[in-house]
Amino acid sequence: MGEILKAFIAAGALLSLAPPAAAREPRGAKLVVGQRGEPRSFNPVVEIDEPTRIVNSLLHSTLARTDPVSRRLEPALAESWKKSGDGRRILVRLKPGLRFSDGRPLTAADVAFSFEVFQDEKIAAPQREVLVLNGKSVSVRMLDDRSVALDLAFPTALGERMLEAIPILPRHRLEEPFRQGRLRQVWGNNASPSEVAGAGPFQIGRIEPGRRLALMRNPNYWRRGKDGRALPYLDEIEFVFAPSEDSLVARLLGGEIDLVAGLGSGSFASLKKAGNAQHLSPLDLGPSLDYTFLLFNLNRSSPAAGQLKRRLEWFSDARFRRALSLTVDREAIVRLVYRGHATALWGHVTPARGPWFDPSLPRPAPSLTKARRLLRDAGYGWDGGGNLVDRSGAPVEFTIAASSSNPAYTQTAAILQEDFKKLGIGARTVSLEFRSLLDRVTVKKDYDLAVMALRPGEPDPAADMNVLLSSGKAHLWNLGGPPHDWEIEVDDLMRRQLTATDGRKRVELFHKVQQILASQAPIVSLASPNVLIAGPRGLAGVVAIAGGHPALSNADSLYWVRNDAGASDRSER
Amino acid sequence: MNRRGKLALGVLSAIHAAAGFAGFLAPYEPSTQHREHALAAPTRIVLRGLTVTAVLPAPGGTSEFPVRWLRRTEDGWHLFTVDEPGKIFLLGTDSLGRDQWSRLLHGARISLFSGVLAALLAGLIGTVLGLLAGYYSGWCDRVVTQVGDIFLALPWLYLLLGARAALPLDASPLVVLSGLLAVMGIAGWPRPARLVRGMALSLRERHYVMAARGFGAGHTYILTRHILPPVWPAVAEFVCLAIPQFVMAEVTLSFLGLGLSEPAASWGTMLAAFARLDAMTGAPWLAAPAAALALVSLCYRGLLSSGTRRGGGEPERG
Amino acid sequence: MRFLLTRALRGAGLVAAVAVLGFLMMEAAPGDFLTDLRSSPGIPTATVEQMQRDSSLDRPVWSRLVSWIRSLLSGDLGVSLIWHRPVADLVWPRACNTALLSLTGLSGAWLVGVPLAALSAARSGSWVSRAASLLVSALVALPDLLVALLVLLTAVSTRWIPVSGSLAGAGFALALIALPAVYRHTYSSMRMAMGEPFVESARAHGLPPVRVWTGHILPAAAGPLISLLGLSFSSLLSASLLVEVVLGWPGLGPLLLEAVAARDQHVVLAGVVLSAGLLAAASLLIDLLLVLCDPRIRRDGL
Repeated sequence: MGEILKAFIAAGALLSLAPPAAAREPRGAKLVVGQRGEPRSFNPVVEIDEPTRIVNSLLHSTLARTDPVSRRLEPALAESWKKSGDGRRILVRLKPGLRFSDGRPLTAADVAFSFEVFQDEKIAAPQREVLVLNGKSVSVRMLDDRSVALDLAFPTALGERMLEAIPILPRHRLEEPFRQGRLRQVWGNNASPSEVAGAGPFQIGRIEPGRRLALMRNPNYWRRGKDGRALPYLDEIEFVFAPSEDSLVARLLGGEIDLVAGLGSGSFASLKKAGNAQHLSPLDLGPSLDYTFLLFNLNRSSPAAGQLKRRLEWFSDARFRRALSLTVDREAIVRLVYRGHATALWGHVTPARGPWFDPSLPRPAPSLTKARRLLRDAGYGWDGGGNLVDRSGAPVEFTIAASSSNPAYTQTAAILQEDFKKLGIGARTVSLEFRSLLDRVTVKKDYDLAVMALRPGEPDPAADMNVLLSSGKAHLWNLGGPPHDWEIEVDDLMRRQLTATDGRKRVELFHKVQQILASQAPIVSLASPNVLIAGPRGLAGVVAIAGGHPALSNADSLYWVRNDAGASDRSER
Repeated sequence: MNRRGKLALGVLSAIHAAAGFAGFLAPYEPSTQHREHALAAPTRIVLRGLTVTAVLPAPGGTSEFPVRWLRRTEDGWHLFTVDEPGKIFLLGTDSLGRDQWSRLLHGARISLFSGVLAALLAGLIGTVLGLLAGYYSGWCDRVVTQVGDIFLALPWLYLLLGARAALPLDASPLVVLSGLLAVMGIAGWPRPARLVRGMALSLRERHYVMAARGFGAGHTYILTRHILPPVWPAVAEFVCLAIPQFVMAEVTLSFLGLGLSEPAASWGTMLAAFARLDAMTGAPWLAAPAAALALVSLCYRGLLSSGTRRGGGEPERG
Repeated sequence: MRFLLTRALRGAGLVAAVAVLGFLMMEAAPGDFLTDLRSSPGIPTATVEQMQRDSSLDRPVWSRLVSWIRSLLSGDLGVSLIWHRPVADLVWPRACNTALLSLTGLSGAWLVGVPLAALSAARSGSWVSRAASLLVSALVALPDLLVALLVLLTAVSTRWIPVSGSLAGAGFALALIALPAVYRHTYSSMRMAMGEPFVESARAHGLPPVRVWTGHILPAAAGPLISLLGLSFSSLLSASLLVEVVLGWPGLGPLLLEAVAARDQHVVLAGVVLSAGLLAAASLLIDLLLVLCDPRIRRDGL
């Protein structure tokens, strides 16, 4: 238990970016957030990109939410819910007097409508995967004005996840477009602010395409603060869109923007150095959910010939892969590529995923002797010049492809190249434009090794299904080909954890998956870039939650604190 | 050639020679990562008596290492080195601890060579097509000009992306860069073509050409004996102007994130690493390739203006 | 008149050819807009397929080409795949920004370059002329990218100009890039005009120098200057792209780059067609101006 608690604390610190003893008079005010991408739409049904997700999370509410502080699933729009004995039915009771931002009441009919929309096949919303498990959908029935019954096809611990994932949409606005089959087209980013209605803490104020987006507080928001006042405290959140990270940093320093999240380590370093920026507080919030890894081409479906065939034979030996993993200097990657603002990884699950992270996985330091021993066992040797050669005497050489879109990837590949040289391997880094690389890896399957990164949307293992299932679309190392034996085992474990009802059992199963991946090493996990934000001093209530926006997950409880000059004590972790 | 031209030629030769002897002049390999010395400032060099010494920061002050001349290491002869654990970074290091001086020299090979290749290609194709257009005139001229306009307006970024993707993954960076700059060179023919066309058009009307025709001279003879000779200097001038431009093209492409060369040391990738806010403020020594590039550009210009131009009548930039 | 008509037709043909070729070249690049969504673990396959249908990426190449050409002819530039907005709405404000930047840069270059060149031409050999030509030589030797980076460096270290997103910084950089060409052309055309016989005769008639300049030299130099406008336009376009990217000016440059990286077909093609169209229109305008300004051309033909 202590482990889990520690993991929770490590996952996201409670930050108060203001002196704890300063006058805590929550006053309404404006927060200006800078980001690179702007939302494509205000329609949760077509939410495929991060900026859209962030804005929609401020405009809409769900039945339940994970409280950022206690990290437990707590009622949001729902007042309470009850699972039936056999675990196949969830009865949800709504809070009384709920309203949308346009003043119309939110009832069970809206809940039923929302679930119907998100499960609809033609709509093909990304959230459909949460509701339709193993091909079976959820049936939702209105019991009365304030109650709904969710009937699942089979009992699963993921039932409650549905309560958190589905935003409740206003039936009075969206039913007509839905029946007419044009729901995907409404509420685009050219919508007029009064068109969009939601139950979230904010509503759309002003849209300036390409420049800014102003969200005003929703007076009909259901939540109240601990002091009984209606949330949100902030009157307005304004998003300012900038073309590049450098321009975001420039505007931060100039005072035009208050907060930027998701900074790169370079920008973060220059912000920290700008020590005279009294109004800014750059913070490293620890590991994110992202993981950067080295991918091996283990595809058995592509017809390989000649040189590629021989290289694929090398990669197909798990000992070869583990030997390479033992040579990688992860500390150098963290220190040089990310300037220390990353966390070394030996598995794809980062510590930010709380209990899902298996702390018992071995984390060996780089060891050339162990690596050499593994290679010798696998039948490799070294020739006179110190080059690694395989059984047939051919020197071991391959390319490491990396995307040029982010210098971190090419730099990581350069470090790997030098590390592998110590084993006598002639590795060469090749940098490709992002989409060209993806095309090579996922369509042509014509590559040796590649440095890639993935970002799970949430800590729950369900976010890894597409990657770990051998039939998954993101099962990069063996896309669509006949699975190896251990991949079949992983498939089985992942499916079982999806249908398990006991949370502890799910954790156990997922830990087992990680152990198999560690010993088979289809990917060599390298590092997880930390969550880096720069926020204003004087903003209180910021709590980071894994998977959401690092600073806006708790947007409804953010407030400005009067910061007396001289009071420089800050509590930050 | 006047003094300025001689100076420019001298400097250019020196730079190209340095690139040629990069292995000798550089104390380290361009890809070697000195991981304990990432983003190190240029090493201070002092004179202790008659010995040149490198002064490095050490815990509790500094430590000094005498510079060794003409040493032989496992990767060949080097003009100057420093005994380990000392380091000599004349131009500092980058974020992965790679010596910038070594990278500058080795990168010069890639950048300069590919610039020459692309400029020559463009000049060659442009000359041929320009001659055809200007000399034969008529529909030939119309076709060449129209196609040239189209070439100028097309989005070459896409063709480059496609070309890069078509090349085998394990092609060396030099091959890749050459391939891409070959594409750019081939795409660059319209400018010299226009120039040559104009000249061919006016030369064709000269009296001696008409006279030669009158005597029954064939087209080839006229082209080679009368048209080509005056055209060559103009084309040579174009090529001289174009070389730094194509070198810049490589730099620009790397800078724009099309990532055609990393992590090979080319001036383009080095400059791209510099052109970020944190590098500009924190590691100004990374700007060395910019200075080198400016120097090369200046020299090519100096070479040109030492020629016969009356000054002011230069062809357009870009 | 007929001459202008043929030029207009040629311009239209150019734009058409560029449109079709540009479309085909886009297809040649590997991957498309949905490539990363297809392998993204968070987006279900069904969603990607639906998006494919929405953006008609599931139809064969020729079918998409035909429908794009048809919509182009009716004035519809399509919808951006990244930003999910009509391309026209996206491109128009950016194009205006680029135009604003180009105008600022050009005016800056002309405001400084023309008087400087005139002065140098009038007093050739003086220190003014020598200093000016030195400055210009240095500037012309520096590639566009380096000039932009230098301006950025100045902005970062001295804070005299805002680092990113301001017209002052970007305009200054572009003016520096355009200055050498303006200076040189003005200088040489002034010198040429100064040597013309009618200038000599004007001087011999005893006209004051100012009258000689304004009445005879400047108008004669105007012709080549106008053609300079046209020539520098295309190189200014590529220079402005670099300046916009380096100095964070929200013009067409950064938009197109991002669209290229993400394979946002309609935006890229709109940009390509737009710039080809602008080039064609500009050269037509230049020819028109030349015909109007120089009576000799009207008489002898171009």
